[in-house]
Amino acid sequence: MNTSRSLYRLLLRLCPADLRSQYGDEMEMLFLQSLSGARGPGKARVWTRAVSDVVRHGIGARRDSWRKFRKTSAYVEYRTGGWWMDTLRYDLRHAIRAMGRQPVTSLIVVLTLALAIGANTAVFSAVHSVLIRPLPYPEPASLVMLWEKREAEGVMKNSVSPADYLDWARTATSFTGMAAMTEVTADLTGEGDPEKVSVAGVSAPYFEVFGTRPLHGRTFEPGDYTIGNRGVILGHAFWRQRFGGDPGVVNRSVMLNGGPIKVVGVLPANAAFPNTDAQLFVPLVIQANPDPPSRTSHQFSVYARLKPDVTLAQARAEMDRIGKDLEAQYPQLSRGHGAHVTSLPEEITGPVERTLVVLMAAVAFILLIACINVTNLLLAKAAGRRREMAVRAAIGAARARLMRQLLVECAVMALAGGVAGLMLAVWSVRVLAAQLPAVARPDQAVIFSLPVLAFTLVACLITCLLAGALPAWHLVREDAAEPLKEGGRSPVSLKRTLRFGLIVVEVALTSMLLVGAGLTLRSFQAVLAQPAGIETNNRLTFRVSLPGARYRDGAAAARFFNDLESRLRAEPMIQSAGGTMLPPLTGFDGRRGVVIENREVGPDDGPTRAHPRVITSNYLQAIGSRVREGRGFNPADTETSPTVAIVNETMAARYWPGVSPIGKRVRFTDQEIWREVVGVIGDVKHWGLDEPVNPELYVPATQFPVWALTWVLFTNGDPLTLVPIAQRHLREIDANLPLFQVRTMEEVAAQSVERRRWMMTLLAVFAVLALVMAAAGIYGVMAHLVSMRTPEIGVRLALGARPASVMRQILGEGAMQAGIGLVIGLGGSLALMRGMRTILFGIEPTDPITLASVGVSLMIVALLAVAIPAVRAMRVDPIAALRQ
Amino acid sequence: MTQDRARFDRFLPLKPFVLDVLLELADGKKHGWALIRDLQQRDGGDRILPTNFYRTLRALRDDGLIEEAKGDANEDGAERRQYFSLSTLGAKVARAEVKRLEALVVDPRARKLLKAR
Repeated sequence: MNTSRSLYRLLLRLCPADLRSQYGDEMEMLFLQSLSGARGPGKARVWTRAVSDVVRHGIGARRDSWRKFRKTSAYVEYRTGGWWMDTLRYDLRHAIRAMGRQPVTSLIVVLTLALAIGANTAVFSAVHSVLIRPLPYPEPASLVMLWEKREAEGVMKNSVSPADYLDWARTATSFTGMAAMTEVTADLTGEGDPEKVSVAGVSAPYFEVFGTRPLHGRTFEPGDYTIGNRGVILGHAFWRQRFGGDPGVVNRSVMLNGGPIKVVGVLPANAAFPNTDAQLFVPLVIQANPDPPSRTSHQFSVYARLKPDVTLAQARAEMDRIGKDLEAQYPQLSRGHGAHVTSLPEEITGPVERTLVVLMAAVAFILLIACINVTNLLLAKAAGRRREMAVRAAIGAARARLMRQLLVECAVMALAGGVAGLMLAVWSVRVLAAQLPAVARPDQAVIFSLPVLAFTLVACLITCLLAGALPAWHLVREDAAEPLKEGGRSPVSLKRTLRFGLIVVEVALTSMLLVGAGLTLRSFQAVLAQPAGIETNNRLTFRVSLPGARYRDGAAAARFFNDLESRLRAEPMIQSAGGTMLPPLTGFDGRRGVVIENREVGPDDGPTRAHPRVITSNYLQAIGSRVREGRGFNPADTETSPTVAIVNETMAARYWPGVSPIGKRVRFTDQEIWREVVGVIGDVKHWGLDEPVNPELYVPATQFPVWALTWVLFTNGDPLTLVPIAQRHLREIDANLPLFQVRTMEEVAAQSVERRRWMMTLLAVFAVLALVMAAAGIYGVMAHLVSMRTPEIGVRLALGARPASVMRQILGEGAMQAGIGLVIGLGGSLALMRGMRTILFGIEPTDPITLASVGVSLMIVALLAVAIPAVRAMRVDPIAALRQ
Repeated sequence: MTQDRARFDRFLPLKPFVLDVLLELADGKKHGWALIRDLQQRDGGDRILPTNFYRTLRALRDDGLIEEAKGDANEDGAERRQYFSLSTLGAKVARAEVKRLEALVVDPRARKLLKAR
């Protein structure tokens, strides 16, 4: 019977409130009477009739009220919106005055919300730029990247060799165009200072694939793709900076690598391309360099656009087929090689997607924590406004009106917080953008784009509802007469359990944020603890690259580098100096096939390969690498002496397991010269501290011609003092060569972990923010509680309770809330942090040290926050308290 | 008089259920509960739908056909019951409706219909 009664009551909600309040009880009685008179299926009939009655006539009664209202003059105001706007304006004015009456509270609320909403806006602008907004190309979804894949070795994304690219582009039919890009650096001379510029060599349909149109001039035409007739296209920023944005630069010539080259076009400002920050674009002429095109030198990024009716899967199937054909055609060089097609938008967003999701979750937590704090603050303040609300209710304000007024007050504060938050986001978005892909990097303009502004507005409204609804409802719900009664001081307006619950949630959220930040911190430490295999202190690095036009043969280049090395070594300030093709911790390079003499290759063995490392004789000393076995290179290893090589420990262990490689011979697959292994050195991390080490084969620069080397100079003092010395020597040998990529080795190492540091810093900032807010929240609730319980504490002290026990009780209550929150939070972390596994390094998401230290530190902070009100409780003067 | 007539003419014709309610109240003031009881006795069945009934009462009250009235002094004070009585306007409307129905019945055609049966 009781269930029927509740159900019917629920049903009666369809009726207008006045009908319900006047006759609801009698209607209910009538219904129950007919229900009790019915048996079995009759009950169902009674119910059916009751439902149809209430639905039909309840709504009908609402319509009656509406019709009646329409005959009144109030309706005219209502229809024109006058009523709503008038009272809204009144509410707004009232809200602003109310804020002014409590400036400190309002300021705290606005600042708290500004921090939370600002962080949310900034992170959302990044999420919007990278994950939501389409890439700045026409129909970006049809853009793909092509890779060489070697499934047997677990390599799905290798750079593409020129020969493979040409074959793919010739035979594939799935694409409207396929373009290759490789980035090089070049000297720009002529007008103004000589400058190192990064140049992208791009094959024929590159700009067509991306749908980029030039701002001035034209893009490349077929005639540009012949040696000696090449033009250059300027990037927008470079054009502005070097040529002052002069459109007349088109058809003028610039000196690139010592030769004149005609400017054919300028790109628009919004042109950006994946995987390159190139300032200049030149045609990539493949046929002539080297001749025939190499199938083993992997250096191209390949982009293509799918034909409108071709899916990614179809393109993959076709490229698989082409890969098989090539494998059959070149069994020696292409064994196990295939072609892989991936979506370009995914390539760009994939690496940062998880990071952004984690950051978004972190700031959402912050917003929740901020809302809880504001709720608590408003609840505390609500006690002081009970009388105001009661008076207004007594003179006829409807509950809904009071509720709306309170929510408008909260909305005003939330919007003020939102505006301040936008400013914060504008200021912080640059920090956030630093490690995001250039093509999709958010800028300050994104903050003011419609979706981000809409997001901020929604965040404000949600904040307003989350933080304001509870206190407002709490105030309005009260019996209007209660606070007006004589001596109406009963302060128990706040359900204690409710506020305790809020604190528990706050602590739980904070602990999850702390665990996330702690895990990234511990990962970062784990990465830094990885041995790089080099020393980074007191070392300067810079790159020198020789223009092929003036240094035509390898011998000339080798002579140049020899000369440079001996001059640098002769400097008293420089302890050792050496050059390498690829400095440690800087990135990515392709492997080459190698042949180990007398090594039986089993059917299950993958191809024998190693990364070539061309170094000068003194390089290993300069980076502080250790020779484990045999010797390093020395000046006696010249182009005429026996050819030699050094292997890293990984290569020694993989290709000569159990035996010493010293004295064994090895050669690159595409070279005839055998090289004798003369030494084994410790592994050096070339791709990053958190990346594994592959086999590496070091050869002396004298025996393997290269035109560009990164130099490492080791000194006793500040490495940057070596820059002018190096510049002087370089100028003395060749006056036209600039020094570029000048960095200390410590900077190089720091840059290699930049993204991790960025992620860790952001999460740490968010976690500290959360911790401070949680501490403030706990303090606020406990302080309020103590102040409300002052009379009670006074009585207890007067009756002989010891101050210490009073303090212990308050401390205990605070510790209890924090403890419960902590347990929930740590439990939640165990579940949530699994999503972070892919961005962690060297530790598990359940890392006990992280969990334990979060628990301990959060507990300490919570106790400190409780300690102040606890001490205050202990010091309550019984006399004063009783008199209150 | 004509003005008065216009005032209650707009209520006509009454729904049968509304007329029933007005006629019941013509006996004197009643509270909702008693009204229902009497109505049900008249029609001999429990076809009174609570929401419909109270919606009708509310509409009649808002239109001024019935008035809220005080209960009897001897009634138990704890029973907070709302009494209703017919207003002057309500009485006029009920009378007009009854007259209208009567006129219908005496209409020759209607009589023919009755005879035919």
